[in-house]
Amino acid sequence: MSNNKLNEVLQKQKQQIQEPIKSSEDIIQLVGFVVGEEEYAIPILNIQEIIKPIEFTRVPSVPDYVLGVFNLRGNVIPLIDLRKRFSLNASKQSASTRYIVMKDEENIAGFVIDRLTEAIRINRNRIDPPPETLVKDKGMIYGIGKRDQNILTILKVEALLKRDF
Amino acid sequence: MDDMKEITQDFLVEAFELIEQIDHDLVELEANPEDLELLNRIFRVAHTVKGSSSFLNFDVLTKLTHHMEDVLNKARKDELKITPDIMDVVLESVDMMKGLLHGIRDHGNDTDVGIEISDICARLIAISEGDEIPTASTPTEPVVTPEPEPAPIAPEPEISDEALSSLSDDEVEAEIERLLKVRKAEDQARRASKGISSPATTSTSAAPKPVSTSKPTTKKDDDGDKKVPAQSGGAVAQEQTIRVEVKRLDHLMNLIGELVLGKNRLLKIYDDVEERYEGEKFLEELNQVVSSLSLVTTDIQLAVMKTRMLPVAKVFNKFPRMIRDLSRELGKQIDLEISGEETELDKSIVEEIGDPLVHIIRNSCDHGIEDPETRRLAGKPEKGTVELKAYNEGNHIVIEIVDDGKGLDAAMLKMKSIEKGIITEREADAMSDKEAFSLIFRPGFSTAAKVTNVSGRGVGMDVVKTNIEKLNGIIDIESEVGKGTIMKLKIPLTLAIIQSLLVGTQEEFYAIPLASVLETVRVPIDDIYTIDGKNVLRLRDEVLSLVRLSDVFGVNKVFDGGDQTYVVIIGVAEAKLGIIVDTLVGQEEIVIKSMGDYLQNIPGIAGATIRGDGRVTLIIDVAAMMEMAKEIKVNIRAEMDAESKNVKEKPSDYKVLIVDDSKMDRTIMQKSLEPTGVTVIEATNGVEALTIIKSGEHSFDAILIDIEMPRMDGYTLAGEIRKYSKYRNLPLIAVTSRTSKTDRLRGVEVGMTEYITKPYSSEYLENVVRKNIKLP
Repeated sequence: MSNNKLNEVLQKQKQQIQEPIKSSEDIIQLVGFVVGEEEYAIPILNIQEIIKPIEFTRVPSVPDYVLGVFNLRGNVIPLIDLRKRFSLNASKQSASTRYIVMKDEENIAGFVIDRLTEAIRINRNRIDPPPETLVKDKGMIYGIGKRDQNILTILKVEALLKRDF
Repeated sequence: MDDMKEITQDFLVEAFELIEQIDHDLVELEANPEDLELLNRIFRVAHTVKGSSSFLNFDVLTKLTHHMEDVLNKARKDELKITPDIMDVVLESVDMMKGLLHGIRDHGNDTDVGIEISDICARLIAISEGDEIPTASTPTEPVVTPEPEPAPIAPEPEISDEALSSLSDDEVEAEIERLLKVRKAEDQARRASKGISSPATTSTSAAPKPVSTSKPTTKKDDDGDKKVPAQSGGAVAQEQTIRVEVKRLDHLMNLIGELVLGKNRLLKIYDDVEERYEGEKFLEELNQVVSSLSLVTTDIQLAVMKTRMLPVAKVFNKFPRMIRDLSRELGKQIDLEISGEETELDKSIVEEIGDPLVHIIRNSCDHGIEDPETRRLAGKPEKGTVELKAYNEGNHIVIEIVDDGKGLDAAMLKMKSIEKGIITEREADAMSDKEAFSLIFRPGFSTAAKVTNVSGRGVGMDVVKTNIEKLNGIIDIESEVGKGTIMKLKIPLTLAIIQSLLVGTQEEFYAIPLASVLETVRVPIDDIYTIDGKNVLRLRDEVLSLVRLSDVFGVNKVFDGGDQTYVVIIGVAEAKLGIIVDTLVGQEEIVIKSMGDYLQNIPGIAGATIRGDGRVTLIIDVAAMMEMAKEIKVNIRAEMDAESKNVKEKPSDYKVLIVDDSKMDRTIMQKSLEPTGVTVIEATNGVEALTIIKSGEHSFDAILIDIEMPRMDGYTLAGEIRKYSKYRNLPLIAVTSRTSKTDRLRGVEVGMTEYITKPYSSEYLENVVRKNIKLP
C-alpha cells in the first residue's frame, strides 16, 4: 500500500521534472499584482526585487505619476505610481502596498502597486494580443492572459520603463 | 603585424608628447635665439620624429622632418640666424608635422590626410641653403648622399663628417661619449627586443631598408642614434611613473564616492548612537574607529583626486605660440606672461578649460590690446601684455587673464547690445557696469568693428560662458577704460565629489554646489522690492534678482515663512541670483549620482545624492535654475505680506486651536473662550493637531495644548510646531494637571509660552489667551 503510494508520488515528481523541459519554450512565468480593481502581471525575469514601501524624495518638473526617487542600497532609483500611470484614483498606501523594482537592459525603476497576488505560469498560446481598443494606450500592454477563473493583463516592461515626457 | 602596430602606437605617444613641448620651446627660441640648449632640444624632437617615422615607413613625415632638421641643425651650429620670418616657416612646418601625426593616428598612414608638403619643403630648403651661408652645399651633402656603408657602422662617419667642420674639441669628446652610450643602449635594446615574442618581424622589417635605398639608411641610423638614448634615459624615470588608463581612475573615483557616502552615513549613525547610549564604554571605542575611518576616507579621496590631477601647464603651453601668431597676424606687439602653470586641476576639467581660455585670450589680443601707435599715443608701452595666472583658492582654482589694453566701455557695450536687439533700452538703463560687461557673453554679441580671422563672429565668448557653466565655475570681469581688463575664472578642483550647501524649502531639501554659492544672508521681507514684475533685493550696492526655491520646483506649500527669510546668493559664470529658502541645513560633502535614463535632464536638477540618513537629496543645477528663474513671475513680497498680515477686524477673525483628548476638557476651554468671540477649532491629539496646522487651512493665533494625550503628547507637539520658523512666535499655552517643577521646566524647554495648571478659572484662561493673541 505505502509502496504503491510512494511510487505514485515518485511518478508524479518525475512527470513534473520532465514536463517543464519538454514545454519550457511555451511556458512563461509571471508575477501577478493588483492595481486598482484589475489584476496585472509582468514577466518574472524583469523583476529585480520587490520591497516594502520606503521613503522617497519628490522630483520637480515631472508628470504626477513619477513620485520621485528612492534609495535602493546606494542606488538612486525612480519611483512610479502605477495607479496614476493608469489614470486611476489615487488611494492611500496600505499594509499590502509594495514597490516592484523592474528592469530591462537599460533602465530600472520602482513601481507602486496595491497588492501582490501570486506567481503565475502560463502557456504562451493562452496569451492573446491586446484588443485594438487598448493598443493605442501607449503600447503598455503585452497581451491578455486567459486563465481558468479570470483574465489578466500582461504588461510590457520595456514600455513601462520608457520615459514618455 | 601586431608588433608594428604596437611600435606605431608607442611612436605616436612619444611624438605627441614631444610636439607639445616644441611649440613652447620654439616661441621661446625666438626671444632667445642664442639659447643653444633650447635649439638642441628642438632639434632633437625633429630628429627623433624623423628617425622613427622613417623606420615606420611614413615617407611624407620623414621628408618634412628631414628638412626641418636641416634648418634647425644649421641654426644649432650658428650657421643660420633665426629671424621671425624663418620662424614662421618653421612653425608652419611644425603644424604640418602635427597634422601628419594626427593623420597617422586616425588613418594609420601619413598620406590619407592629404597634407601637401612640397611647398614647405621647398621653403625650408631655401632657408637652409639660402643667404649668408657660403658652405650651403657642404652640410646638406652628407645628409643627402651618405656613405654607402652597412647600417650599424653608419652613424659614426656620418656624424663626424657632418660635425667636423664646426665642433670644438670638447664637443667632439662629448659626441664620442654620446655615441658610445648610444651603441651600448642599442645593444641593450636589441637584446631586450629578442626577448619579445616575435623578434623576427622587427629585425626583418628593419633590415631590408638600409640596403634598399641609401637615403633611408642614414635616417634609420639617426633613429637608432637618437631614439635609443631617449629610451634609455627615460628608463630611470619610467620606474617612477606608470601609465594608467583614465577609465581605471574613473572607476576608482566612483568607488571612493561610495565610500564617502558610507562614511557620511556612519557618522550620522554614530551621532544617534551617542545620544542613545551616552556614557557607555563602547562609545569611546566606536568613536575612535569612526573618526579614524573618516580620516582615512578623506585621505584616500584626496589621494585619488591627486592621481587625476594635471598641471594647467598642459593647457597653458599652447598659448605662447598662439599669442605669437596672433600678434604677427594683428600687427600688434604682445607679450604673454604665464605664472602658476604648475597649479593642478582634475583631468576632466583641464580638458574643458582649454577652449574657453583660447577664446578669452584671443579676445584680449584682438579687442583688448591696441595697436602700437594707439598705445604710444595713450602713453603706454608699445608692447602690450597679457598675463595668464593660475592659483589655488580653497577648493577652487582661479585662472586670471589680465590685459593692459583699452578696457571695456560699459556705455559702448550697452549701446551695441541695444543696436543688436539683445537688450532693450530700459534694461540697459537698469544695468550696472558689471552687468554691462557680462553682455559680451551673450550669443550674437561682438564689439569688433569688422569680422577678423581672429574674432568677431560672435560665437567665442558665448562658448566661454557655456563651458564654464558646465564646470560650475564663476566668471568675474573687472575692467577700466584705458587701463585694461581682468577676467577671473573660478573653477572647482573636481567634479565627482563636491561640497554642497544643503537648504530646505517647506519640507523638501536640496543641495546647492558650494562652488556656486557666493554668500547667504538673512533679510527681512521688507527689503524685497518688485520692479517690473521681478523680485529684487538690495544688498549693499548691488541689486539682485530673487526667486523662491519653492516656486522654481513647485514645492507643496505646507507652511509660511516668517517676516525674515534666508537668501542664498549663487553665481554662475557671470550672473548672480538670490534664492529664497526656508532653512539652511549646513555644508555636506556629496557624491553626484545619476537618476538613470528615466529621469535624465530634469530641468534644474543636476543629479541626486544619498545623505547620511539614507535619504535621497536632489542636487540643483545652478545654471539651469538661473534660466528657470527668469520665467517665474510671482510677487513674493505681496504674497508674503498677505500671509503674515492677515487683517483682523473682528474677534472671530482670530483662531485658537484646542488640543485635548478629553471631550469634557475641550468643552470647558471652549466655554471659557466664548466671551472673547474668537473662533475655536478642536483636535483630539498631537498628530491630528499637527496635520491641521500643516494643512495651512487655518492660521492660528494661539494653541492650547494638553500635555498627556495619546499618539503624540503635548511636549512633542510643541517641539514639532516650533520647528517651523513661521510658528516661532506663535503662543503655545500648556493646559495641564501636571504641576511639578520639572514638568514646567520641560514645558519651557520645548517652547511653551504659558503654563496653566488644572483646575483653572474660566476668567484666568480667557485672560491668558486674550493677552497672548493681543485681542483688543
